[in-house]
Amino acid sequence: MVTTAFTGLGHAQAKALGHPELPLAVIPHPFGLRTRAEVTALAAQCVDEVARLLCEAGADAESGKAQATARAKRAQLVDAPLDTDGFNMLCMERQWGDGLPVIAPTPEKVAAMLRHTKRAPDEIVARIAPAYGAATVEYIAINAVMAGCYPEYLPVLIAAAEAMGDPALNLQSMQATTNPAAVGLILNGPLAQRLKVNSGGNCLGPGTWANATLGRAVRLILQNIGGGLPGDMDKSTHGQPAKFTLCCAENEAANPWEPLHVERGYAPEDSTITLIGALGTWNMNTHAKDAPDLLRVIADTMTYPTGSDYVNGGAPWLMLCPEHAHILKQAGLSKADVKRQLWELSKLAATRLSAKDLGRVQADRRAELGEIVRETMLPISVKPEDITIVVAGGTGTHSVYLPASGRVHSVTRKITIDKPRE
Amino acid sequence: MNEQIRVYDPVATGSVATRVTSHPLAGLGGKVIGFVDNAKPNFQYLVDDLGALLMQKYGVAEIVKHRKRGQVPMGDAVADELAEKCDAIIAGSGD
Repeated sequence: MVTTAFTGLGHAQAKALGHPELPLAVIPHPFGLRTRAEVTALAAQCVDEVARLLCEAGADAESGKAQATARAKRAQLVDAPLDTDGFNMLCMERQWGDGLPVIAPTPEKVAAMLRHTKRAPDEIVARIAPAYGAATVEYIAINAVMAGCYPEYLPVLIAAAEAMGDPALNLQSMQATTNPAAVGLILNGPLAQRLKVNSGGNCLGPGTWANATLGRAVRLILQNIGGGLPGDMDKSTHGQPAKFTLCCAENEAANPWEPLHVERGYAPEDSTITLIGALGTWNMNTHAKDAPDLLRVIADTMTYPTGSDYVNGGAPWLMLCPEHAHILKQAGLSKADVKRQLWELSKLAATRLSAKDLGRVQADRRAELGEIVRETMLPISVKPEDITIVVAGGTGTHSVYLPASGRVHSVTRKITIDKPRE
Repeated sequence: MNEQIRVYDPVATGSVATRVTSHPLAGLGGKVIGFVDNAKPNFQYLVDDLGALLMQKYGVAEIVKHRKRGQVPMGDAVADELAEKCDAIIAGSGD
């Protein structure tokens, strides 16, 4: 049962999951704004259609779970125009790209990329929601070439695909939501430096090949393997520029605390990729010089009534600039201390929510918080540890708040670096 | 001008095999119908009303409701439990 705006998504996902004939009962969109009496009238209008569909189409669920193909199909070669304009026209027609010119994934370029892993080209690294396409090593390489990645970037993207398949990331929710959910990448460890991933000034902006193309490759993987095509399964109301690319490294040299990957149990010499689900990048410019003042204004920025975090109990991110991080460190605060204080300071009075959203919170967080009334102070996340802090950026008094997409928890994976084959 | 090159098709969707098509119900009398509520505003009311009507008008024996927690997939265990209990399941999608 879908609303009209989600009919395409319903059909596409049913097909992707192996049930192309699954019947859909369609009701007018937007549904959530209707009054209780209107809902009752709608139920009376559609019950006969629902009953008909139940009796005319598959409903007894005897077929069991989908059987994924045991081995993924190899990618197919097709003819394409040699000239750049013609090739990009083909990409637009087939919805292979992100709206920017792409590099032709020729057999030579893909082979060059595949030399940077020992894994077999047809090995399935993960299945990517919502279409659950098989992200084989080969398909990852093809999309990486199209995004403009250098061959030595491939191990990063293989690890990123592994993270995409982790249920904690809840990729389905990001790929099919009306929210502007961007899948972002944070690199840690020595590989980030070797690949020249920017962690300093303008690390979230333009000017660095690795930051631009790695994030873009993830976007193409999400679309071409995961099926998250704008206007199709990707239902984002506006989207956001970070959906083109959102990638940087942690500025470990300027970080006064342990880096993210060490905090998460990896060795300092390991290299990792962390995937996040971000609804935006909010600049927080403050010249606050003492820790309590700084924490107060950061928490105040985090506290807004229209984000997903308070509704679901989220997992927001803070990208502190080195100057802000050092103020907090010099005050004797650990990262855990900062998280705990921000968690306390950013509690939102439930009365600031709209009535409908308060209802969503009451339905969604009752098990966690008990009875929720208008006077309840809502924590931004279930626990302080769900707030993640990284240090990145250059000089200046600007930190970045990245509110999380609903029920998305970031996922970190170690990057396996193989000696390139001849 | 019309020179061609060979490139890889980058699209890997549709790689899940089509399942066996399940059988339609012969009728709704005495059947158990499940609802998966996507927890979006109003859907729980639609579930309540549709469930009552299916019982009144079509003789459905029982309605089983599962409300998802926000945007989290319901998981295999819940899906298996619903499949065990129900003759048909209706899932909500959209706002």
